[in-house]
Amino acid sequence: MGLRDLRDQVCIVGVGDTPQGAVPHKTGDELAIDAARAALQDCGLKKDDIDGLFVQRSYGHQGDYLKVGLMLGLNPRVGGAIDGSGATGCYMLQHAALLLQAGMANYILLLYGTNQKTNRNRFGEALLEEHAPYGAFNPSLPFAFAFRRHMHLYGTTEEQLATVALNQRQHALLNPKAAQRTPLTLDDYMSARYVVWPLRMFDYCYITDGGHAFVLTTAERAKDLRKPPVYIRGMGRQEAFRAYETPDLVMQSFQQQAVAKMIFNMADVGVKDLQALYVQDAYSPAVFAALENYGFCPQGEAGRWIQGGRIALGGELPVNVNGGQLSETYMVGWQNTCDAVRQLRGEGGPRQIKDVELLMCTYTGGLREHAGALILQR
Amino acid sequence: MAEYSKPLPVIETWNAPYWQAAKRHEFVAQRCQACGYTHLPPGPVCTNCLSAAQDWVQLSGKGTIYSYGIYYQLWHPGFTADIPYNVALVQLAEGPQIISQVVDCKNEELDCGLKVEVVFEDATAEVTLPKFRLVRNNS
Repeated sequence: MGLRDLRDQVCIVGVGDTPQGAVPHKTGDELAIDAARAALQDCGLKKDDIDGLFVQRSYGHQGDYLKVGLMLGLNPRVGGAIDGSGATGCYMLQHAALLLQAGMANYILLLYGTNQKTNRNRFGEALLEEHAPYGAFNPSLPFAFAFRRHMHLYGTTEEQLATVALNQRQHALLNPKAAQRTPLTLDDYMSARYVVWPLRMFDYCYITDGGHAFVLTTAERAKDLRKPPVYIRGMGRQEAFRAYETPDLVMQSFQQQAVAKMIFNMADVGVKDLQALYVQDAYSPAVFAALENYGFCPQGEAGRWIQGGRIALGGELPVNVNGGQLSETYMVGWQNTCDAVRQLRGEGGPRQIKDVELLMCTYTGGLREHAGALILQR
Repeated sequence: MAEYSKPLPVIETWNAPYWQAAKRHEFVAQRCQACGYTHLPPGPVCTNCLSAAQDWVQLSGKGTIYSYGIYYQLWHPGFTADIPYNVALVQLAEGPQIISQVVDCKNEELDCGLKVEVVFEDATAEVTLPKFRLVRNNS
Protein backbone atom coordinates (compact mmCIF):
# COMPACT_ATOMS: atom_id res chain seq x y z
CA MET A 1 0.00 0.00 0.00
CA GLY A 2 1.26 3.44 -0.86
CA LEU A 3 0.27 7.02 -0.26
CA ARG A 4 -1.76 7.09 -3.49
CA ASP A 5 -4.11 4.50 -1.98
CA LEU A 6 -5.09 7.13 0.55
CA ARG A 7 -6.35 9.50 -2.16
CA ASP A 8 -9.95 10.57 -1.49
CA GLN A 9 -10.36 7.93 1.23
CA VAL A 10 -10.68 10.35 4.16
CA CYS A 11 -12.85 13.43 4.52
CA ILE A 12 -13.17 16.53 6.63
CA VAL A 13 -16.81 16.33 7.63
CA GLY A 14 -17.08 18.94 10.35
CA VAL A 15 -15.56 22.35 10.95
CA GLY A 16 -16.08 24.56 13.95
CA ASP A 17 -14.88 27.97 15.02
CA THR A 18 -15.54 30.61 17.65
CA PRO A 19 -15.53 34.38 17.58
CA GLN A 20 -12.00 35.56 16.68
CA GLY A 21 -10.15 38.70 17.72
CA ALA A 22 -10.40 39.59 21.40
CA VAL A 23 -12.39 37.06 23.43
CA PRO A 24 -11.32 38.14 26.91
CA HIS A 25 -13.76 36.10 28.97
CA LYS A 26 -12.55 32.65 27.78
CA THR A 27 -9.37 30.67 28.16
CA GLY A 28 -7.77 29.05 25.12
CA ASP A 29 -9.01 25.65 26.27
CA GLU A 30 -12.58 26.92 26.56
CA LEU A 31 -12.34 28.32 23.05
CA ALA A 32 -11.06 24.96 21.78
CA ILE A 33 -14.03 23.25 23.40
CA ASP A 34 -16.50 25.79 21.99
CA ALA A 35 -15.03 25.04 18.56
CA ALA A 36 -15.38 21.30 19.20
CA ARG A 37 -19.08 21.72 20.00
CA ALA A 38 -19.54 23.76 16.81
CA ALA A 39 -17.76 21.12 14.71
CA LEU A 40 -19.90 18.30 16.15
CA GLN A 41 -23.01 20.35 15.45
CA ASP A 42 -21.74 20.98 11.91
CA CYS A 43 -21.46 17.28 11.07
CA GLY A 44 -24.23 15.96 13.30
CA LEU A 45 -22.09 13.63 15.39
CA LYS A 46 -22.32 13.19 19.16
CA LYS A 47 -19.41 13.56 21.52
CA ASP A 48 -19.22 9.84 22.19
CA ASP A 49 -18.94 9.05 18.48
CA ILE A 50 -15.45 10.55 18.68
CA ASP A 51 -12.74 7.93 19.15
CA GLY A 52 -9.71 10.02 18.22
CA LEU A 53 -8.54 13.34 19.68
CA PHE A 54 -5.57 15.56 18.82
CA VAL A 55 -4.98 18.93 20.47
CA GLN A 56 -2.48 21.53 19.33
CA ARG A 57 -0.66 23.21 22.17
CA SER A 58 -1.13 26.95 21.94
CA TYR A 59 1.15 29.75 23.01
CA GLY A 60 0.76 30.51 26.69
CA HIS A 61 0.81 26.86 27.77
CA GLN A 62 -2.76 26.08 26.84
CA GLY A 63 -4.02 23.26 24.70
CA ASP A 64 -2.63 20.48 26.86
CA TYR A 65 -3.96 17.26 25.33
CA LEU A 66 -4.57 15.51 28.64
CA LYS A 67 -6.30 18.49 30.19
CA VAL A 68 -8.53 19.14 27.19
CA GLY A 69 -9.40 15.44 26.94
CA LEU A 70 -10.43 15.50 30.60
CA MET A 71 -12.54 18.63 30.11
CA LEU A 72 -14.28 17.06 27.11
CA GLY A 73 -14.97 13.84 28.99
CA LEU A 74 -13.60 11.62 26.23
CA ASN A 75 -12.04 8.16 26.27
CA PRO A 76 -10.61 8.23 22.75
CA ARG A 77 -8.98 5.16 21.28
CA VAL A 78 -6.20 7.22 19.67
CA GLY A 79 -4.87 10.70 20.15
CA GLY A 80 -2.12 12.94 21.39
CA ALA A 81 -0.20 16.07 20.70
CA ILE A 82 2.03 16.77 17.71
CA ASP A 83 4.77 19.38 17.72
CA GLY A 84 5.20 20.83 14.26
CA SER A 85 5.01 24.49 15.26
CA GLY A 86 3.02 26.35 12.59
CA ALA A 87 2.53 23.15 10.58
CA THR A 88 1.00 21.23 13.48
CA GLY A 89 -2.56 21.60 12.23
CA CYS A 90 -1.56 20.19 8.85
CA TYR A 91 0.31 17.31 10.44
CA MET A 92 -2.68 16.48 12.65
CA LEU A 93 -4.98 16.32 9.64
CA GLN A 94 -2.49 13.97 8.00
CA HIS A 95 -2.13 11.76 11.07
CA ALA A 96 -5.90 11.59 11.37
CA ALA A 97 -6.18 10.53 7.73
CA LEU A 98 -3.63 7.74 8.24
CA LEU A 99 -5.30 6.47 11.42
CA LEU A 100 -8.76 6.51 9.84
CA GLN A 101 -7.58 4.73 6.73
CA ALA A 102 -5.83 2.10 8.85
CA GLY A 103 -8.99 1.52 10.83
CA MET A 104 -7.60 2.58 14.19
CA ALA A 105 -10.37 5.16 14.63
CA ASN A 106 -13.70 6.06 13.05
CA TYR A 107 -14.20 9.72 13.88
CA ILE A 108 -11.30 11.98 14.85
CA LEU A 109 -11.59 15.41 16.44
CA LEU A 110 -8.79 17.98 16.08
CA LEU A 111 -8.67 21.07 18.29
CA TYR A 112 -6.85 24.34 18.68
CA GLY A 113 -7.67 27.25 20.96
CA THR A 114 -5.77 30.25 22.25
CA ASN A 115 -6.28 33.52 24.07
CA GLN A 116 -2.90 34.91 23.15
CA LYS A 117 -4.31 38.34 22.24
CA THR A 118 -5.89 38.76 25.65
CA ASN A 119 -2.71 37.37 27.23
CA ARG A 120 -0.69 39.91 25.24
CA ASN A 121 1.72 37.38 23.82
CA ARG A 122 4.38 39.46 22.06
CA PHE A 123 6.38 36.59 20.54
CA GLY A 124 9.49 38.26 21.91
CA GLU A 125 11.64 35.21 22.48
CA ALA A 126 14.53 34.16 20.30
CA LEU A 127 13.67 31.14 18.20
CA LEU A 128 16.81 29.44 19.46
CA GLU A 129 18.38 30.41 22.76
CA GLU A 130 21.77 30.90 21.11
CA HIS A 131 20.36 33.75 18.99
CA ALA A 132 19.24 35.91 21.93
CA PRO A 133 22.66 37.53 22.58
CA TYR A 134 22.50 38.93 19.05
CA GLY A 135 19.03 40.43 19.48
CA ALA A 136 17.45 37.93 17.09
CA PHE A 137 13.97 37.87 18.58
CA ASN A 138 10.56 36.95 17.11
CA PRO A 139 9.79 34.27 14.52
CA SER A 140 9.67 36.83 11.71
CA LEU A 141 13.45 36.97 11.33
CA PRO A 142 13.78 34.06 8.85
CA PHE A 143 11.06 35.70 6.74
CA ALA A 144 12.91 39.04 6.82
CA PHE A 145 16.03 37.18 5.71
CA ALA A 146 14.11 35.42 2.95
CA PHE A 147 12.50 38.58 1.60
CA ARG A 148 15.71 40.61 1.76
CA ARG A 149 17.44 37.80 -0.13
CA HIS A 150 14.58 37.74 -2.65
CA MET A 151 15.02 41.50 -3.20
CA HIS A 152 18.75 40.98 -3.70
CA LEU A 153 18.48 38.05 -6.10
CA TYR A 154 15.44 39.06 -8.14
CA GLY A 155 14.99 42.81 -7.71
CA THR A 156 11.72 42.32 -5.85
CA THR A 157 10.33 45.49 -4.27
CA GLU A 158 8.54 46.33 -1.05
CA GLU A 159 5.59 47.58 -3.14
CA GLN A 160 5.33 44.13 -4.70
CA LEU A 161 5.31 42.52 -1.27
CA ALA A 162 2.57 44.95 -0.21
CA THR A 163 0.24 43.24 -2.69
CA VAL A 164 0.03 40.23 -0.37
CA ALA A 165 -1.26 42.26 2.57
CA LEU A 166 -3.52 44.47 0.44
CA ASN A 167 -5.03 41.49 -1.37
CA GLN A 168 -5.83 39.72 1.87
CA ARG A 169 -7.28 42.80 3.49
CA GLN A 170 -9.53 43.23 0.47
CA HIS A 171 -10.77 39.69 1.04
CA ALA A 172 -11.22 40.28 4.77
CA LEU A 173 -13.51 43.23 4.07
CA LEU A 174 -16.02 40.67 2.76
CA ASN A 175 -15.55 38.32 5.72
CA PRO A 176 -17.56 38.93 8.90
CA LYS A 177 -15.25 36.53 10.79
CA ALA A 178 -12.16 38.62 10.02
CA ALA A 179 -10.60 40.53 12.91
CA GLN A 180 -9.12 43.22 10.60
CA ARG A 181 -11.87 44.83 8.56
CA THR A 182 -10.73 48.38 7.82
CA PRO A 183 -9.63 49.17 4.27
CA LEU A 184 -5.88 49.18 3.67
CA THR A 185 -4.21 51.21 0.92
CA LEU A 186 -0.70 51.06 -0.50
CA ASP A 187 -0.03 54.41 1.21
CA ASP A 188 -1.13 52.93 4.54
CA TYR A 189 1.15 49.99 3.96
CA MET A 190 4.19 52.00 2.87
CA SER A 191 3.84 54.49 5.72
CA ALA A 192 3.51 51.78 8.38
CA ARG A 193 6.45 51.23 10.69
CA TYR A 194 9.04 48.58 10.08
CA VAL A 195 9.16 45.78 12.63
CA VAL A 196 12.09 43.79 11.31
CA TRP A 197 13.12 45.54 8.07
CA PRO A 198 12.26 44.91 5.27
CA LEU A 199 8.99 43.74 6.86
CA ARG A 200 6.39 46.24 7.98
CA MET A 201 3.61 45.94 10.50
CA PHE A 202 1.11 44.78 7.84
CA ASP A 203 3.39 41.90 6.85
CA TYR A 204 2.79 40.33 10.28
CA CYS A 205 -0.02 38.02 11.29
CA TYR A 206 -2.64 39.68 13.43
CA ILE A 207 -2.56 38.04 16.86
CA THR A 208 -6.00 36.92 17.99
CA ASP A 209 -7.93 34.81 20.48
CA GLY A 210 -10.10 32.05 19.13
CA GLY A 211 -10.66 28.35 18.58
CA HIS A 212 -10.95 25.99 15.64
CA ALA A 213 -11.93 22.34 15.27
CA PHE A 214 -12.14 19.68 12.59
CA VAL A 215 -13.91 16.31 12.51
CA LEU A 216 -12.63 13.69 10.06
CA THR A 217 -13.88 10.28 9.05
CA THR A 218 -13.60 7.81 6.19
CA ALA A 219 -15.25 8.51 2.84
CA GLU A 220 -17.66 5.64 3.50
CA ARG A 221 -18.85 6.99 6.86
CA ALA A 222 -18.90 10.57 5.56
CA LYS A 223 -21.89 9.82 3.35
CA ASP A 224 -24.22 9.60 6.34
CA LEU A 225 -23.32 12.97 7.82
CA ARG A 226 -24.95 16.37 7.69
CA LYS A 227 -22.72 18.29 5.27
CA PRO A 228 -21.12 17.40 1.93
CA PRO A 229 -17.76 15.74 2.63
CA VAL A 230 -14.50 17.42 1.64
CA TYR A 231 -12.00 14.81 0.48
CA ILE A 232 -8.29 14.78 1.24
CA ARG A 233 -7.00 14.19 -2.25
CA GLY A 234 -3.35 14.75 -1.52
CA MET A 235 -0.95 15.39 1.31
CA GLY A 236 2.75 15.90 1.76
CA ARG A 237 5.29 17.04 4.29
CA GLN A 238 8.98 17.55 4.86
CA GLU A 239 10.99 18.23 8.00
CA ALA A 240 14.36 19.98 7.90
CA PHE A 241 16.69 20.37 10.84
CA ARG A 242 19.91 21.16 9.03
CA ALA A 243 18.98 24.80 8.83
CA TYR A 244 22.53 26.05 9.33
CA GLU A 245 24.06 23.89 6.68
CA THR A 246 21.71 24.22 3.73
CA PRO A 247 21.25 27.81 2.51
CA ASP A 248 18.13 27.10 0.48
CA LEU A 249 16.26 26.33 3.68
CA VAL A 250 15.98 30.09 4.16
CA MET A 251 13.90 30.37 1.01
CA GLN A 252 12.11 27.15 2.00
CA SER A 253 12.77 25.71 -1.42
CA PHE A 254 14.23 22.44 -0.15
CA GLN A 255 11.31 21.70 2.17
CA GLN A 256 8.43 22.90 0.02
CA GLN A 257 9.70 21.39 -3.21
CA ALA A 258 9.88 18.05 -1.42
CA VAL A 259 6.30 18.48 -0.23
CA ALA A 260 5.23 19.43 -3.75
CA LYS A 261 6.69 16.26 -5.22
CA MET A 262 4.89 14.08 -2.66
CA ILE A 263 1.54 15.83 -2.78
CA PHE A 264 1.20 16.19 -6.55
CA ASN A 265 2.16 12.56 -6.98
CA MET A 266 -0.43 11.41 -4.47
CA ALA A 267 -3.17 13.69 -5.76
CA ASP A 268 -2.36 13.07 -9.43
CA VAL A 269 -3.00 16.71 -10.24
CA GLY A 270 -0.75 19.66 -11.06
CA VAL A 271 -0.72 23.31 -10.05
CA LYS A 272 -2.81 24.22 -13.10
CA ASP A 273 -5.66 22.12 -11.72
CA LEU A 274 -5.79 24.02 -8.43
CA GLN A 275 -8.43 26.73 -8.25
CA ALA A 276 -7.37 28.41 -5.03
CA LEU A 277 -4.47 28.50 -2.60
CA TYR A 278 -4.37 28.99 1.15
CA VAL A 279 -0.95 29.79 2.61
CA GLN A 280 -0.21 29.66 6.34
CA ASP A 281 0.96 33.24 6.25
CA ALA A 282 2.51 34.04 9.61
CA TYR A 283 4.39 36.70 7.61
CA SER A 284 3.63 37.84 4.09
CA PRO A 285 6.80 36.47 2.42
CA ALA A 286 5.35 33.01 3.13
CA VAL A 287 3.06 33.59 0.15
CA PHE A 288 6.05 34.21 -2.15
CA ALA A 289 7.72 31.01 -0.94
CA ALA A 290 4.62 28.88 -1.51
CA LEU A 291 3.91 30.31 -4.98
CA GLU A 292 7.46 29.68 -6.16
CA ASN A 293 8.29 26.44 -4.41
CA TYR A 294 5.06 24.64 -5.33
CA GLY A 295 5.51 25.81 -8.90
CA PHE A 296 2.64 28.27 -9.36
CA CYS A 297 5.20 30.71 -10.77
CA PRO A 298 8.89 30.51 -11.66
CA GLN A 299 11.50 30.93 -8.90
CA GLY A 300 12.04 34.62 -8.22
CA GLU A 301 8.90 35.75 -10.05
CA ALA A 302 6.36 35.91 -7.22
CA GLY A 303 6.64 39.67 -6.74
CA ARG A 304 5.69 40.34 -10.35
CA TRP A 305 3.39 37.34 -10.75
CA ILE A 306 0.94 38.41 -8.03
CA GLN A 307 0.25 41.80 -9.59
CA GLY A 308 -2.85 42.78 -11.54
CA GLY A 309 -5.41 40.91 -9.47
CA ARG A 310 -4.04 37.46 -10.21
CA ILE A 311 -4.35 36.31 -6.56
CA ALA A 312 -7.56 38.20 -5.81
CA LEU A 313 -10.99 36.66 -5.59
CA GLY A 314 -12.03 36.26 -9.21
CA GLY A 315 -8.41 36.11 -10.37
CA GLU A 316 -6.46 33.23 -11.83
CA LEU A 317 -5.42 31.86 -8.43
CA PRO A 318 -7.26 33.37 -5.45
CA VAL A 319 -4.95 33.29 -2.42
CA ASN A 320 -6.22 33.39 1.17
CA VAL A 321 -9.72 34.52 0.28
CA ASN A 322 -10.58 34.63 3.99
CA GLY A 323 -7.94 37.30 4.66
CA GLY A 324 -5.42 34.80 5.98
CA GLN A 325 -3.50 35.40 9.14
CA LEU A 326 -2.64 38.95 8.17
CA SER A 327 -6.29 40.00 8.26
CA GLU A 328 -8.69 37.23 9.26
CA THR A 329 -7.20 35.63 12.36
CA TYR A 330 -3.94 34.04 13.49
CA MET A 331 -4.85 30.42 14.12
CA VAL A 332 -1.63 28.83 12.79
CA GLY A 333 -3.29 27.75 9.56
CA TRP A 334 -6.45 26.24 11.08
CA GLN A 335 -8.51 29.21 9.92
CA ASN A 336 -7.34 28.69 6.33
CA THR A 337 -8.28 25.03 6.14
CA CYS A 338 -11.59 25.80 7.86
CA ASP A 339 -12.33 28.37 5.17
CA ALA A 340 -11.17 25.99 2.44
CA VAL A 341 -13.70 23.39 3.60
CA ARG A 342 -16.49 25.95 3.61
CA GLN A 343 -15.52 27.16 0.14
CA LEU A 344 -15.61 23.61 -1.22
CA ARG A 345 -19.06 23.16 0.30
CA GLY A 346 -20.23 26.37 -1.35
CA GLU A 347 -20.60 28.18 1.98
CA GLY A 348 -18.33 31.07 0.99
CA GLY A 349 -21.11 33.68 0.83
CA PRO A 350 -19.97 36.90 -0.89
CA ARG A 351 -16.45 35.47 -1.01
CA GLN A 352 -17.43 32.23 -2.73
CA ILE A 353 -14.84 31.10 -5.29
CA LYS A 354 -16.89 30.27 -8.36
CA ASP A 355 -17.20 26.55 -9.13
CA VAL A 356 -14.33 25.64 -6.81
CA GLU A 357 -13.69 21.91 -6.63
CA LEU A 358 -9.99 21.56 -5.93
CA LEU A 359 -7.62 23.67 -3.87
CA MET A 360 -4.49 23.51 -1.76
CA CYS A 361 -3.58 24.55 1.77
CA THR A 362 0.11 24.97 2.60
CA TYR A 363 1.71 25.25 6.01
CA THR A 364 5.17 26.01 7.35
CA GLY A 365 6.45 26.25 10.87
CA GLY A 366 9.32 26.96 13.18
CA LEU A 367 12.59 28.51 12.20
CA ARG A 368 12.58 26.61 8.91
CA GLU A 369 11.96 23.09 10.13
CA HIS A 370 8.43 22.21 9.10
CA ALA A 371 6.50 22.21 5.84
CA GLY A 372 3.33 20.44 4.82
CA ALA A 373 0.35 20.75 2.52
CA LEU A 374 -3.08 19.32 1.76
CA ILE A 375 -5.02 19.17 -1.49
CA LEU A 376 -8.73 19.17 -0.77
CA GLN A 377 -11.52 18.28 -3.14
CA ARG A 378 -15.27 18.66 -3.14
CA MET B 1 31.62 49.91 32.95
CA ALA B 2 27.83 49.77 32.87
CA GLU B 3 26.26 46.46 33.72
CA TYR B 4 25.73 44.30 30.62
CA SER B 5 21.99 44.11 30.10
CA LYS B 6 21.59 41.95 26.98
CA PRO B 7 20.93 38.21 27.09
CA LEU B 8 24.03 36.07 27.45
CA PRO B 9 24.60 32.68 25.84
CA VAL B 10 23.59 29.66 27.87
CA ILE B 11 26.79 27.65 28.07
CA GLU B 12 26.36 23.90 28.34
CA THR B 13 28.30 20.75 27.58
CA TRP B 14 28.41 20.91 23.80
CA ASN B 15 28.90 24.59 23.22
CA ALA B 16 31.37 25.27 26.08
CA PRO B 17 34.48 24.90 23.87
CA TYR B 18 32.97 27.37 21.36
CA TRP B 19 32.47 30.02 24.02
CA GLN B 20 35.80 29.30 25.72
CA ALA B 21 37.51 29.82 22.37
CA ALA B 22 35.58 33.05 21.79
CA LYS B 23 36.83 34.31 25.13
CA ARG B 24 40.37 33.72 23.80
CA HIS B 25 39.29 35.60 20.63
CA GLU B 26 39.34 32.43 18.59
CA PHE B 27 36.55 31.42 16.25
CA VAL B 28 36.05 27.65 16.09
CA ALA B 29 33.74 24.93 14.86
CA GLN B 30 33.53 21.19 15.21
CA ARG B 31 35.21 19.04 12.59
CA CYS B 32 34.49 15.35 12.31
CA GLN B 33 37.48 13.03 12.67
CA ALA B 34 35.72 10.37 10.62
CA CYS B 35 34.49 12.29 7.58
CA GLY B 36 36.07 15.74 7.87
CA TYR B 37 32.75 17.62 7.93
CA THR B 38 32.84 21.06 9.58
CA HIS B 39 29.69 22.03 11.44
CA LEU B 40 27.95 24.45 13.78
CA PRO B 41 26.03 24.76 16.08
CA PRO B 42 27.92 22.48 18.46
CA GLY B 43 26.49 19.04 19.12
CA PRO B 44 27.38 15.58 20.37
CA VAL B 45 27.91 14.00 16.96
CA CYS B 46 28.74 14.85 13.36
CA THR B 47 25.55 15.96 11.56
CA ASN B 48 26.89 14.34 8.39
CA CYS B 49 27.91 10.86 9.58
CA LEU B 50 26.95 10.62 13.31
CA SER B 51 30.50 9.93 14.44
CA ALA B 52 31.07 11.07 18.02
CA ALA B 53 34.75 11.76 17.37
CA GLN B 54 34.84 15.52 16.91
CA ASP B 55 37.71 18.00 16.97
CA TRP B 56 37.47 21.73 17.47
CA VAL B 57 39.21 23.59 14.67
CA GLN B 58 39.97 27.23 14.00
CA LEU B 59 37.87 28.85 11.29
CA SER B 60 39.15 31.56 8.98
CA GLY B 61 36.58 33.97 10.34
CA LYS B 62 35.77 34.92 6.74
CA GLY B 63 32.30 34.85 5.31
CA THR B 64 29.64 36.68 3.35
CA ILE B 65 26.31 38.20 4.34
CA TYR B 66 23.71 35.72 3.09
CA SER B 67 20.90 37.97 4.30
CA TYR B 68 19.99 40.29 7.15
CA GLY B 69 17.19 42.11 8.88
CA ILE B 70 17.05 45.37 10.79
CA TYR B 71 15.19 45.50 14.09
CA TYR B 72 13.00 48.54 14.59
CA GLN B 73 10.83 46.77 17.15
CA LEU B 74 12.24 46.44 20.66
CA TRP B 75 11.71 43.03 22.23
CA HIS B 76 14.37 43.19 24.96
CA PRO B 77 15.26 46.26 27.05
CA GLY B 78 18.97 45.51 26.68
CA PHE B 79 18.76 46.59 23.04
CA THR B 80 16.98 49.93 23.64
CA ALA B 81 19.97 52.07 22.69
CA ASP B 82 20.73 49.94 19.62
CA ILE B 83 17.42 50.31 17.74
CA PRO B 84 17.50 50.07 14.75
CA TYR B 85 20.07 47.28 14.86
CA ASN B 86 20.98 44.60 12.36
CA VAL B 87 20.96 40.83 12.67
CA ALA B 88 22.75 38.98 9.89
CA LEU B 89 22.84 35.45 8.60
CA VAL B 90 26.51 34.95 7.77
CA GLN B 91 27.62 32.29 5.34
CA LEU B 92 30.99 31.15 6.67
CA ALA B 93 33.74 30.24 4.22
CA GLU B 94 33.95 26.76 5.77
CA GLY B 95 30.27 25.97 5.16
CA PRO B 96 27.98 26.59 8.13
CA GLN B 97 25.77 29.65 8.48
CA ILE B 98 25.49 31.51 11.76
CA ILE B 99 23.27 34.26 13.09
CA SER B 100 25.25 37.23 14.37
CA GLN B 101 25.54 40.98 13.93
CA VAL B 102 27.64 43.20 11.69
CA VAL B 103 29.33 45.95 13.73
CA ASP B 104 31.21 49.15 12.96
CA CYS B 105 29.02 50.08 10.03
CA LYS B 106 25.78 51.86 9.27
CA ASN B 107 22.79 49.66 8.51
CA GLU B 108 22.55 51.34 5.11
CA GLU B 109 25.97 49.96 4.18
CA LEU B 110 24.80 46.35 4.52
CA ASP B 111 24.00 44.23 1.51
CA CYS B 112 23.62 40.57 0.69
CA GLY B 113 26.85 39.08 -0.59
CA LEU B 114 29.23 41.51 1.13
CA LYS B 115 32.39 40.00 2.57
CA VAL B 116 32.73 40.03 6.34
CA GLU B 117 35.28 38.89 8.89
CA VAL B 118 34.91 37.93 12.51
CA VAL B 119 35.58 40.35 15.36
CA PHE B 120 35.26 39.69 19.06
CA GLU B 121 33.11 41.72 21.40
CA ASP B 122 33.93 41.24 25.06
CA ALA B 123 30.45 41.44 26.56
CA THR B 124 31.36 40.61 30.16
CA ALA B 125 34.45 39.39 31.97
CA GLU B 126 33.31 35.85 31.19
CA VAL B 127 31.64 36.06 27.79
CA THR B 128 32.87 37.21 24.39
CA LEU B 129 30.53 37.30 21.39
CA PRO B 130 31.86 36.60 17.89
CA LYS B 131 30.47 39.30 15.60
CA PHE B 132 31.42 40.45 12.12
CA ARG B 133 32.60 43.57 10.31
CA LEU B 134 32.64 44.45 6.65
CA VAL B 135 35.84 43.72 4.76
CA ARG B 136 36.30 47.22 3.39
CA ASN B 137 38.61 46.39 0.50
CA ASN B 138 36.03 44.29 -1.30
CA SER B 139 37.98 44.33 -4.57
